[in-house]
Amino acid sequence: MAIVKATKTPERPAPISETSILGWLQKNLFSSVFNSVLTLLTTYIIYLTISGVYVWGFVDATFVAETRRECYDNSLTGACWAGVIDWLDNIFYGRYPREELWRINFGGILLAFWMAPLWITRAKGKVLVGASVVAFYPFLAGYLFSGGDKGLFMQVMVSAAIVAFVINMANAIAGLLKQQSIAQFVISSLGQTNAADKSQRNLLIALVVVGFGVAYLWQSSWTVEFVSWTKWGGLFLTLVISGIGIASALPGGIILALGRRSKLPVLRVLSTGFIEIFRSVPLITVLFMATTMFPLFMPEGFVLNKLVQVIIAVVLFNACYMAETVRAGLQAIPKGQAEGAHTIGLGYWGTMGLIIMPQALKHMIPNIVGSFIGLLKDTTLVSIIGLFDILGMLRSISKDIPWLGLHKEPLIFGAILFFIICFAMSKYSRHLEVKLSAGDRH
Amino acid sequence: MKFHCNLALVAALAAIGASGATTVAAETTLEIVKARGHLRCQVGSPSPGFYNMDSKGDWYGLDVSVCQAVAAAIFGDKNAIEFQSVSSQARFTALANGDSDMLSRTATMTMSRETQLGIDFLPPVFYDGQGFMVRKDSGITTALDLKGASVCVKTGSTTELNLTDFSREHDLNLTPVTFEDYNVRDDTYQNGGCDAVSNDKSSLAGNSASFATPSDHIILPETISKEPLAPAVRQGDSQWHDLVQWSVYALINAEELGITQANVDDMRANSKDPNVLRMLGVEGNLHEGIGLNKDWAYNIIKAVGNYGEIYEKYIGGGEQGLGIDRDDTLNALWSNGGLMYSPPMR
Repeated sequence: MAIVKATKTPERPAPISETSILGWLQKNLFSSVFNSVLTLLTTYIIYLTISGVYVWGFVDATFVAETRRECYDNSLTGACWAGVIDWLDNIFYGRYPREELWRINFGGILLAFWMAPLWITRAKGKVLVGASVVAFYPFLAGYLFSGGDKGLFMQVMVSAAIVAFVINMANAIAGLLKQQSIAQFVISSLGQTNAADKSQRNLLIALVVVGFGVAYLWQSSWTVEFVSWTKWGGLFLTLVISGIGIASALPGGIILALGRRSKLPVLRVLSTGFIEIFRSVPLITVLFMATTMFPLFMPEGFVLNKLVQVIIAVVLFNACYMAETVRAGLQAIPKGQAEGAHTIGLGYWGTMGLIIMPQALKHMIPNIVGSFIGLLKDTTLVSIIGLFDILGMLRSISKDIPWLGLHKEPLIFGAILFFIICFAMSKYSRHLEVKLSAGDRH
Repeated sequence: MKFHCNLALVAALAAIGASGATTVAAETTLEIVKARGHLRCQVGSPSPGFYNMDSKGDWYGLDVSVCQAVAAAIFGDKNAIEFQSVSSQARFTALANGDSDMLSRTATMTMSRETQLGIDFLPPVFYDGQGFMVRKDSGITTALDLKGASVCVKTGSTTELNLTDFSREHDLNLTPVTFEDYNVRDDTYQNGGCDAVSNDKSSLAGNSASFATPSDHIILPETISKEPLAPAVRQGDSQWHDLVQWSVYALINAEELGITQANVDDMRANSKDPNVLRMLGVEGNLHEGIGLNKDWAYNIIKAVGNYGEIYEKYIGGGEQGLGIDRDDTLNALWSNGGLMYSPPMR
């Protein structure tokens, strides 16, 4: 006789050691005497740290006070956040005139709106959106921040930027509602879908020109007050320097990297020499050279704005680092790719722009974002040469008479701000990687 | 280089550098400053009492007032200034290379600096000296009791050298504990990391005021160095040198003559004292030699007050002050036994 059971034995519930919290604890934290001791010790350290920080930074802390003495009167051992709160405007905007702060805020909001379509899946033409930000936004923002009389060039660029912004917004809306680009939307709503390509294009150009005219007339009706760059500071200045650095380091780096791999000896030697010189000198030295030595070589009385000097130094320095990152990416692309591109008749720029770069850049995203984060943090060095960027401001709090000696709280506040910004950048890079699915290719 | 095609950079240059590059022909400093419309005055990264920034982003302090006095003398407007905050390594270079018109930033006047760096120091506006601070309960009452003590100092400054000299001279065997940042130095001292702190006495007094319980600490009587803190100008333009020098003297002289920010209008209208009338430009022509208007000194006092008022406001017991007494110190007027002395303005 055979022992056969026709029905499946019902699954027994998992043993209590697998499902209960206690079981998990025992398995992961208290599996041996040594591990138990380790767990208890670590828990105790974590408890001490967190409770210490919590009591210092929150329970005993003072949030409203006029001077540090009042903080002391309130609690001798707690944090004095009142000083940081009192200095918030300085920390974020520097010495920018207080009644003009809306310009910085408006510039920031403008940038957020301008770049928003990059995150909207339904919006079309993301590359053009990105290019328009780099090409036009700096002029609009630059005028908004520094103000004064607009020269003819500035008037034209501001108008162009306004037109670009409006088109970009309309494009995003058309994408959201109809999943069309703005060009398609305009053509179809004017009933020109079947017209010849050329007349469609002429129609669009005519519309843009009319828009430009309107924008030009409108922008010439207002100006904003002049604010000297010496009043710029705080987080705003940090973001301006690193923003320009980030926007130009990548194109600069690509050009330098291509130069270094070029077959033309002059180009190659120049690029290599340039990269090696800038890479082998510390950034602070480059900054000191740019701000104090540079005027000595110039004709007497020739004074270049210090901020521009600093920005040029930061851009050149980071372009060189970026060049090496890009070169590493280029070298990872198999030779067959370039050869394949040649066989289908692509020239040098076609090969680079359509075949090599898109693949290389995709793989370089973690490195590129890493450099960007490094750049953002490096810009705090400008506080040493006397610009009041965010670090300069945070350190100045301890020297303001009402807050004399208050230096821990501002630096902790700064660390939190930097963490938020850098973490967001890092998260965004992860998002890009996943989206371009670079990670699962090889 | 290949950055011509870099749009963002060009944009940055165009946008920020609207004032960009300007070339000025060789002129006197005064002409350049007048043509520019504001004074470029160099201060440093904030230093309590002398130049610091308030939460509105405005500079204030003793040295800042000296800058404002010069701006008021030239333009009649104390706000016609661009403050340049320059790191202390680059301070004299930035003055010598023409970046700054003048320097007013607790620089100690020394022979080698004046003779070798291409700069001229002006009359000191503050006489400081290095001293020691200890905890009251340590029982130390004189610096000679410090035998074998560890002393917190800032690194890389003359402070450290003076300390070593003093230790050698008196065979004290002091151990310097050096710090880059004075906040960290003070924290270490308060937490018992060293027995004493050594620095300029004005700064010791200012910093101890920020301690949790200032009365637990005392400053020892010895002064181990001379630190005359003076503004400076570039060598080679004696008219500019005279202008800044006599702007400083005007502050001191006004105190001596009893002219204050509040009564300067009254004094100009009603005073019988020929010294006052000469200084305020009612009589004589003192202004001609320095190329300014008749009322240059009046503008100075109207804008920032006399030396005593400035001292009281920023170094003394004023609301924004460090709380350092002026009586019986070197910084009192010569008539009160101090060193503040202005040659006659006539």
